[in-house]
Amino acid sequence: CVLHCWSLFVLLLMCLDLHTLVESAPICAHGHTGCHSPTLSDLFDRVIQHSARMHGLSSDLHSDFEQYFLPSRNQIGRINRKCHTAYILTPNGKENAQRLAREELTEVILKLLAAWRDPLSQFHRSMARHEDFTSISGNKALEMSDMVHQLKNGVEKVAEKMQLLGMISNSLMSLSSTEALAPHSASSEARSMSDYELLYCFRRDSNKVQNYLKILKCRIVAEHGC
Amino acid sequence: MEKGFARVWRKTGTRLTLLYLLLLLVGRMNGEAGVAPPGKPRLINCRSPEKETFTCWWEPGSSGGLPTSYTLFYRKENSDVVYECPDYITAGDNSCFFDKNHTSIWVNYNITVVAQNALGNASSDPMDVDVMNIVQPHHPENVTVTLMQGENLYLQVKWQPPRMADTRSGWITLTYELLVKREEDDEWEEYFAGLQKQYQLFSPHPGETYMVKVRCKPDHGYWSEWSATAYVDVPDYLPRERSVWMLLAVFSAFVFLIFMWVLALKKNRVKHCLLPPVPGPKIKGFDSCLLKMEKSEEIFNGLIGLGFRPPSDSGDLLVDYLEVSESIQSESRHSLSPNGKDQVKDSVADHSGGHLCDVPAILAEKCNKEMEAQGDVQTEESLETVGHLAGNDNHTPNPSAASSNQPCVQESPYHVPEESKQGLDPVTWDNDELSSYRGNAPVHGKSHFNSEYVTERWQGCLQVTKPTEYVEVQKVNQENTLILKPKAEEEMEDFLQLGLRGQDYSKVSELVNDHILLLERGSTTPNTYCGSLGSPVQQQPKQTLCQGPNGYVETFTVQSSSY
Repeated sequence: CVLHCWSLFVLLLMCLDLHTLVESAPICAHGHTGCHSPTLSDLFDRVIQHSARMHGLSSDLHSDFEQYFLPSRNQIGRINRKCHTAYILTPNGKENAQRLAREELTEVILKLLAAWRDPLSQFHRSMARHEDFTSISGNKALEMSDMVHQLKNGVEKVAEKMQLLGMISNSLMSLSSTEALAPHSASSEARSMSDYELLYCFRRDSNKVQNYLKILKCRIVAEHGC
Repeated sequence: MEKGFARVWRKTGTRLTLLYLLLLLVGRMNGEAGVAPPGKPRLINCRSPEKETFTCWWEPGSSGGLPTSYTLFYRKENSDVVYECPDYITAGDNSCFFDKNHTSIWVNYNITVVAQNALGNASSDPMDVDVMNIVQPHHPENVTVTLMQGENLYLQVKWQPPRMADTRSGWITLTYELLVKREEDDEWEEYFAGLQKQYQLFSPHPGETYMVKVRCKPDHGYWSEWSATAYVDVPDYLPRERSVWMLLAVFSAFVFLIFMWVLALKKNRVKHCLLPPVPGPKIKGFDSCLLKMEKSEEIFNGLIGLGFRPPSDSGDLLVDYLEVSESIQSESRHSLSPNGKDQVKDSVADHSGGHLCDVPAILAEKCNKEMEAQGDVQTEESLETVGHLAGNDNHTPNPSAASSNQPCVQESPYHVPEESKQGLDPVTWDNDELSSYRGNAPVHGKSHFNSEYVTERWQGCLQVTKPTEYVEVQKVNQENTLILKPKAEEEMEDFLQLGLRGQDYSKVSELVNDHILLLERGSTTPNTYCGSLGSPVQQQPKQTLCQGPNGYVETFTVQSSSY
């Protein structure tokens, strides 16, 4: 009897332990009860890290390109055409950025990210055709185009959370309308841009996204990182 | 006339030319002092300390000997409008400062510097600048190092971000780096502090001065200059932890040394303690030799004969005696004479001579050797008694035998008192003890049997020997004779009476007339007892008192049909 009791007891303990182990926290998008959803601060941290990584990749690719394809000093740091995202009005300074409302700032970010999805996949495809470009750069290009997509989803989640918490009004435009607002010329313009020009423009835009996200975070969730 | 005029003209022209050439020559020899269009200036770099303003510096070329002015022009991205530098003064010589209103981030600036003097101008190579890439902040401010006392002493370094950089709104993110050095060291140690604005340095060296300096860097930009060095003096102290451990280590080393020394001294005892000598098997009446011969009946008989009272078969009492043969290193025996007188033999005879066991020689030898070996190695030996018929010619009396007449020897089932034996089996006793009690020759040995011989003997023993028991001495009568009172037999009283001085045991000194026991005055602890054996046939039934080697008294009936 003692043996039986003891073994039962041990089994029970094991069950309990397993239960605590298995009890991980799924992320709930809509804050259902019982879910352990991350805080807004956590979400912001994640997207900011993501955008930092994305900008790092774009900088690397840009400098690689300059090294291998454009040795002449004339062309470095200069493009002849505007970036295809020039139609998006983005704040060019700290005051301008701080003057923008939260909703507007979020919208700008989302627009930027939406505008780069297609051009980057196009860029990756053209990279694959380049024989001179190393496979490492090719991988970076692929990673970069994936990241834009993921980052956009992340920022949308952040926006939803903010709307849920009442931090921003619900006047934020939905995803589809954001994309729809883009003029047709932009996409054709993107297609005609050279690889170098694409990299140049994206490097800049990714820096914008990262910076705007940081400003947004510090405005909404004042933390030690600010 | 005309000739003269031409001559004069030619002369003047020549002179003028000469003069001009001379002037030119002089001018060239003077170098800079000479007039020339300015040399080409060179843009060095542009930097922004907080991503809100920026400054560009250039290096002037040759001035051409004339006062030269420098103008900076810039164009913004995708625009053909040319602007001039708004501020040449704030940032010093040969610089252009762009204030907030003129600074746009994420916009490409195309900057050119033009040098101009009376004779001409020279334009530098253009430079493309995007403010997001040229951020180099000022160094961190208010760097302080303080001694802090937590569990242990440590240094706390704290600093502030540069004043102009706006980290609180998230516009710039700065990461920090420290350099730490002790005053006498040559090399600086690098520490990366990340985003935090303070840093701990643990376990500083006591009695030394530390120097610390900090710098910062934005996400994608340049490291700042090093801040001013901060100093701190660390006082002399011994970290508590270390001193405690040192003390403990010294103490334990000391203890360990003492322990080893003691161990070395008492090596033998330790060895004895850790690896105790394995005692040989000793069971009273249980002869390993018998075991080897695989005579189970005899073994059991021997066992039974010792401890149990056989059904009292009064009609079948045979006198038999047990022969004890003992020796420390060899055998000695107590053998009883056929007429009942016991002779204790202590022989230090070697085994090679007499084998007690008249068994097949091989086995016997084997037994002997084993026992001998045991006896050699160990000081304790089991005492075994041998049932032996009187008159066995194999037993030669040893002239050097024990002095006292001891009637017989029998195995004692009685328990040897604790103090007299050390580590002894209850069923056996230590021969050393025996010898000590006897005071004579050591009693020790093994017994060997003749198997067939044994059978009779054991049977005889069984039938004859009464189980040993204590004899109670009642009193000593006037004739100095013992009057004993056996527990089971009250008739014993008739024979002897003994008075004691209140002791339970007395030492027997002599047996007289086969039925009178003379006891010594004084008490001894009982050890062995004896029984007397006699030939089962010849002797008359009588009660006999016998004395063990140490005088322990016991009675038994021998062939008694009457008590």
